[in-house]
Amino acid sequence: MSGRGGYLLRKIGWALLTIFVVITFNFLLFRVLPGDPAKSGLRDPRLNPAAVESLRERFGLDKPVFLNFDGGNPFDSQYVAYFGALSRGDLGTSYAFRDQPVSDLIGQALGNTLWLILPSQFLAIIFGAGLGLFAAWRRGRPLDVTALTFSLFMWSLPTFFLGIILLVIGANWFGLPTSGRITIGANFASFWDVAYDVGRHLILPTLTLTLVLLGEYMLIMRSSVLDVFGEDYILTARAKGLSTYRIIRHHALRNAILPMVTLIALNLGFTVSGAIQVEAVYSWPGLGALTVNAVGDRDFPVLQGAFLLIAVAVVIANLIAELVYGWLDPRVSEA
Amino acid sequence: MSVLMEATAPPTVEPRGALRSFLHHRMGVIGAVMLLIAVLVAIAAPILAPYDPYANVRVNILDIYQAPSGEHLLGTDDGGKDVLSSLIYGARVSLIVGFAAAAIALLIGGLVGIVAGYRGGWVGSLLMRITDFFLVIPDLALQIVLVAIIGPSLGTIILVIGALGWTTTARLVRSQALTVRERKYVMRARAIGAGDAHILRRHILPAVLPLMLANMVLVISLAILSESTLAFLGLGDPTVISWGQMLNFAFGRGAVSAGAWWALLPPGFAIVWVVLGTTLLGTALEDALNPRLKRHHLESPGSDVARDRRVEELEPRELTTPSAGAVAAPRDPAAPAAQEESARRDEGPILRVRDLSIEFDTPSGKHLAVEGVSFDLNRGETLGLVGESGCGKTTTVLGIMRLLPPGGRVVSGSVWFEGDDLLSLDGPALRSFRWTRLSLVFQGAMNALNPVRTVGDQIAEAVRLHAPGTGQREALDQSAELLERVGIGRRRLNEYPHTYSGGMRQRAMIALALACDPDVIVADEPTTALDVMIQAQILELLGGIARDLGTGIILVTHDLGVVAQVCDRVVVMYGGAVAEENDAATVFREPQHPYTQELLQSFPDLAHPDRPLRGIPGAPPRLDDMPPGCRFAPRCPHAFDRCREERPPEYAAAGGRAACFLLDPTGPREAVPSAEPRP
Repeated sequence: MSGRGGYLLRKIGWALLTIFVVITFNFLLFRVLPGDPAKSGLRDPRLNPAAVESLRERFGLDKPVFLNFDGGNPFDSQYVAYFGALSRGDLGTSYAFRDQPVSDLIGQALGNTLWLILPSQFLAIIFGAGLGLFAAWRRGRPLDVTALTFSLFMWSLPTFFLGIILLVIGANWFGLPTSGRITIGANFASFWDVAYDVGRHLILPTLTLTLVLLGEYMLIMRSSVLDVFGEDYILTARAKGLSTYRIIRHHALRNAILPMVTLIALNLGFTVSGAIQVEAVYSWPGLGALTVNAVGDRDFPVLQGAFLLIAVAVVIANLIAELVYGWLDPRVSEA
Repeated sequence: MSVLMEATAPPTVEPRGALRSFLHHRMGVIGAVMLLIAVLVAIAAPILAPYDPYANVRVNILDIYQAPSGEHLLGTDDGGKDVLSSLIYGARVSLIVGFAAAAIALLIGGLVGIVAGYRGGWVGSLLMRITDFFLVIPDLALQIVLVAIIGPSLGTIILVIGALGWTTTARLVRSQALTVRERKYVMRARAIGAGDAHILRRHILPAVLPLMLANMVLVISLAILSESTLAFLGLGDPTVISWGQMLNFAFGRGAVSAGAWWALLPPGFAIVWVVLGTTLLGTALEDALNPRLKRHHLESPGSDVARDRRVEELEPRELTTPSAGAVAAPRDPAAPAAQEESARRDEGPILRVRDLSIEFDTPSGKHLAVEGVSFDLNRGETLGLVGESGCGKTTTVLGIMRLLPPGGRVVSGSVWFEGDDLLSLDGPALRSFRWTRLSLVFQGAMNALNPVRTVGDQIAEAVRLHAPGTGQREALDQSAELLERVGIGRRRLNEYPHTYSGGMRQRAMIALALACDPDVIVADEPTTALDVMIQAQILELLGGIARDLGTGIILVTHDLGVVAQVCDRVVVMYGGAVAEENDAATVFREPQHPYTQELLQSFPDLAHPDRPLRGIPGAPPRLDDMPPGCRFAPRCPHAFDRCREERPPEYAAAGGRAACFLLDPTGPREAVPSAEPRP
């Protein structure tokens, strides 16, 4: 396969394979490693054998792990059943929230997380890229040194600690809400009142996440732009008589954004990590807070489902970045 | 590309290079000191801590969140314990986790990287696929899941952070191992039958280890951050005191509403302290081992001409070669200025370079890369600028074109383009001058065209820039004509540079150079990296342009064959100065300067295939080690005492000029106390 179609197929194939591996990995993680209360509960000496058996059956633990070699249907196994359940969107039921399907819980949480991540990503990319561009252009000048110092400090500052500092400042000086998504118990007259209240709740978490991502993106853009500024076609553009502004706009920007796309995708883990911490600090009811609470409650089905969703989302976001890259760069069909 | 390699390589600079490396060094030292302080505090914790944070004490409600006082310098926490003591003991956990997890990550990453890089094959690609997989999975989410399942003990946390933190190390080590594997000495070792173990131990490891150690320092900082994050999220080892856990307890147990900043800020800033220290140290180490100083074509625009540039005349002085000397008659003051002006425009040289000196900042100070270079270029003339690499040819043309890399600047001389001194132009005047009067063809044109824009678009851009009002369609039409003139079909107009072959790209570059019908084209090694047939075609194309369009061409090359084929006149450069200048035929027939003679000896002559070939022993002088006398004296077979003490001026010789005492009309061996002013 060659050309853009081939590139597309290769990337999609690789993403599907990665998702398959993630699912298998997730399946194994919660079966091979010790600690699942469903399993440790089975070792409770107070349970009679019949109860153990019924529990094993309920959790599907009576079946073989991968493939059934005892005769009968070879696909009658935990692994295949897991895929079957996944295909129906069934991620099991939560231990902590009685009878709540995990898929419902993480579905709601995903929506909230996106409300936090998307604006932060957007702001951080715009401002980070802009700052990085200026820093690279004015390499070694005061603006560059300031921007680098800021990034270094942001890098060394744990996200949750920055969250705590901003929380204290925001609550005491600006009277901003610091916990949750919406004021509990308030009566809202209209949709706009709700939006206003949620918006106010979003300010501090978004600001924290934006600041954390900003430093990182600034560094990425700066080094990407510096790479491009060293290229010979920039010298050609200067020799042609283009103004610095036109060189940057017409010759440097697109080439600098190309690696930026890939690097932002590779750094999605960093974004997720930031979101988890921000949600924990501000009790923002997203996937991160759900994960952390599930750990506290030893709610393994929720933990498993949330991790799966996070991992798959990151793989898909990576795929999108690859496709955007292929669309931006005419050379990709040769790669 | 040679244009830049030559211009930037010999001076090995970067603006403020010395300051920069010093800064990095200083940052590294600061980082090391910060880390050392943390290590000392951790070791001496029992001595430094005023209380034992692990001791069980009876707590009374009034002990909780006590403000700092003489008794408790940093107050007390939610359990009534001394914050300062917990802070001091917390350093132990952070550093133990940081170092131990980084060691694990380094071991796994190093192993994976070396195997993938050195062994390669399917094992290597499988390992890299696995690395890619772990690179995609969000670290913190997986750490949370693993620690939650296995149970939060210090050992688990170390193992989990280490087992997930190896991916960047693996990639780094792999690429380094790949590079080393292809090095000559490793190939040689393998050729003489050295085993893998020997090569790994003697060649690969020494090359990889320093980078790994620098990387380890950065992995430590990541591990410390991860540990504190896990602890803050409630996944720390409950039996030990760590900074993240202190923050978890304080934040979760009302320190914010109690206003107990002393329970929140110290552990937070302790984490910042250690992470900042390790990051500074690690970055400085990586920089020192693997300097990534980059070229930057947009830096300090306008500073390529020194503000105090020395200019001797307000008018271009004639070069005093015997033939030109006759031209340099005193001016007739009666001649009308306008007439004289137009006469000069039509008949005089289009480009006159006078006394051009270019200086570069280097770590060892400022050095002249080009000194006192003068030459003329007539309309329609092809001038060869010849010399070995590092002789200042490219620096000279970049100085003329006002494209010197950062750190380089013209300190004296002028470049007269008809009536204008190019070096005094700036801003819009310089931009509108570019490409309309003077354009450029690079070597190979591999990267000289923007890879993400079509060739036609890039030519049309130049057309429209300098002829405002031209529509895009019209400009593309002109671009297609230009491409046809260099022998590229119209249908390739809308293709991207990567679809062109090397020779076609060079032709496209020439079409681009012709876009605004310039008076002069500078071609820097335009045929290097092309095969002989293509080379001949490109030279023929350039020759045709000079002939048909009357464009002056400066051809920078080290290849005397190219010079013989197309050049009318030749300027031979050595050590940043003109060694000899003459018309091409004379240079080949009667070379005057010993350097030219040696250069010709080292070049195969088809007319005399039996003449022995020999290279010139030695290498051109380095910028920071220029001989005090004649620059060529150390390699010259004819050098005598005077050559080693005194710079030879340019003497008239064989209708041209050459800078050699052998040509001194007053006798070569006689030392002249006060050297006559340079002609």
